[in-house]
Formats: sequence, C-alpha cells, structure tokens
Amino acid sequence: MTACTRSKVLSLYTRVFRVARTWQAQSGVKADTETERKYIKQEARTLFRQNQQLTDPEVIKTRIAECEARLDIGLHYSNPYPRATYLPPLGLATLKGRNLGVQQRLRKQAKPIYLQSHDET
Amino acid sequence: MAARVLQQCVRSFARPSLRLCTRNVAVRATATPAVFIHRPLSFAAESPRTRLFGQSRISVGVFCRQYGDLPPLTLETIKERVMYVLKLYDKINPEKLQTSSHFMKDLGLDSLDQVEIIMAMEDEFGFEIPDAEAEKLMTPEEIVQYIADKKDVYE
Repeated sequence: MTACTRSKVLSLYTRVFRVARTWQAQSGVKADTETERKYIKQEARTLFRQNQQLTDPEVIKTRIAECEARLDIGLHYSNPYPRATYLPPLGLATLKGRNLGVQQRLRKQAKPIYLQSHDET
Repeated sequence: MAARVLQQCVRSFARPSLRLCTRNVAVRATATPAVFIHRPLSFAAESPRTRLFGQSRISVGVFCRQYGDLPPLTLETIKERVMYVLKLYDKINPEKLQTSSHFMKDLGLDSLDQVEIIMAMEDEFGFEIPDAEAEKLMTPEEIVQYIADKKDVYE
C-alpha cells in the first residue's frame, strides 16, 4: 500500500464519518436518523477493517472506487443501504446442477462496484 | 457540557435579578417589608429553575446585557476532557492510558482507530481538524497542544 493510497483511504474514512455526523433520514423520523447514522458508522468500520490487509493495487483501487460509489449513491438517494440488484439471467444453478462455473462468472461480472466487498449470501 | 452552559446562563441571569429584588424593596415602601427582605434569601435557597420563573413576574427591565458563552478553556480542562474522551473509547485500556502514550506504539491502535479518535475530539471541542494535521497527532499530549494552539490558550 503506497503512501498516496493510504492517505486517500484515511481521508475517505474521515469523509464517511463526517457524513454520518450530519445525516438526516429521508423519512424524517428521529429513530430512523439514529439507526441510519449508527449503520453508516458500523458499516464503514466493518468494511474498512475487512479490507485492511489487501496488498494488490488493482483490488485496492476497486475498493476505493466502491467506497466513493457508496458515498455518492447514499448521498444522492438519502439512503445509506446498498442498492439491491437482480441476479443476472441464468445466473443461478439449474435443477440438474450443471454449468456452475459459467453462473459464477456471470454473477461475478454482474456484481456492481458498490457491492464488491460483500460476499454472496 | 450542555449542563455547564445552562448553569452559567442561569448564574449570569440570576445575579442582576437579585439586584432587582433589593431595588424593589427600596422603591415600594409597603406594609410588609419583611416579606420583601425575605424574598432574596428565599430565592437564593430555591433551585435555579424556580429562580428563573420567579423573576419573570417582575416586569422591570433588565439592567445589564448578558451574553452566553462557554467557560474559558485552560490547559488543564483541555487535558481532562481529552483524557475523558479517550477513556470512553472502547479499544483503549484506561489503566494503560497516560498523557504521553503513543496510540500506535504503546496502545496498539492502528490508523483507522486514530482517525476515529480525532473525530471524537472534533465532536468534543466543536471545531474541525483538517486531515493533514490530524494524521500527525499521535499522543494525547500532542492533541492537547494542538487544541491549545487552535483555541489560543496560553499559560
């Protein structure tokens, strides 16, 4: 991890926390505002720690882009939760269980940038 | 912190109103001066909140201008507040914490934790610390020095 990526990551971390400080929920309910602020902080903490030990510069770049994407999307839609996506067509195993490799590739390809840190469940 | 501000405001509000009471005693020479003489003492005995409501009935104008502000910062108070906030952080062991303990070397935190600590300091003292200067603050002593520099606290 180079010095410039390190400072970029730390400034992203501060940016997320500053956003969480003044976050207002779209619904206007105070309980929702509190929940969403806690969620933003918790999500930032877990995801940054999960990706802390990465060394490949390409992967680091995708993770930084993921953080920025989530920040932009969250601020634009006033919704901190990640946007759900559809499965790609033919992306889940058939009844007979063949073509698993193809489906995994399809799903990996269709995964949006802001969901890269999340595993498939 | 909000309780301290409220106390300060009430104290500064109640002081001229006690003056008002004694002035009323001189102006109105009524048949029951004993009640008026007792009133400042009884106001002093009551809680600050009832004192506040008691004064609103007297419709004489306020004789001095009042400004609300926080109590002035000293190096001691800054240090106390910084150590208090650090003790509240769950990844720090309060026994091991001293003014000169380095976050990374002595306390075993990493840079993400240090960012969170600086955020907590920003929330406590109410002003923003830019990133370039925030990543250099590695011990509580340095944080206290930085805040004292920014807030012009000398001793």
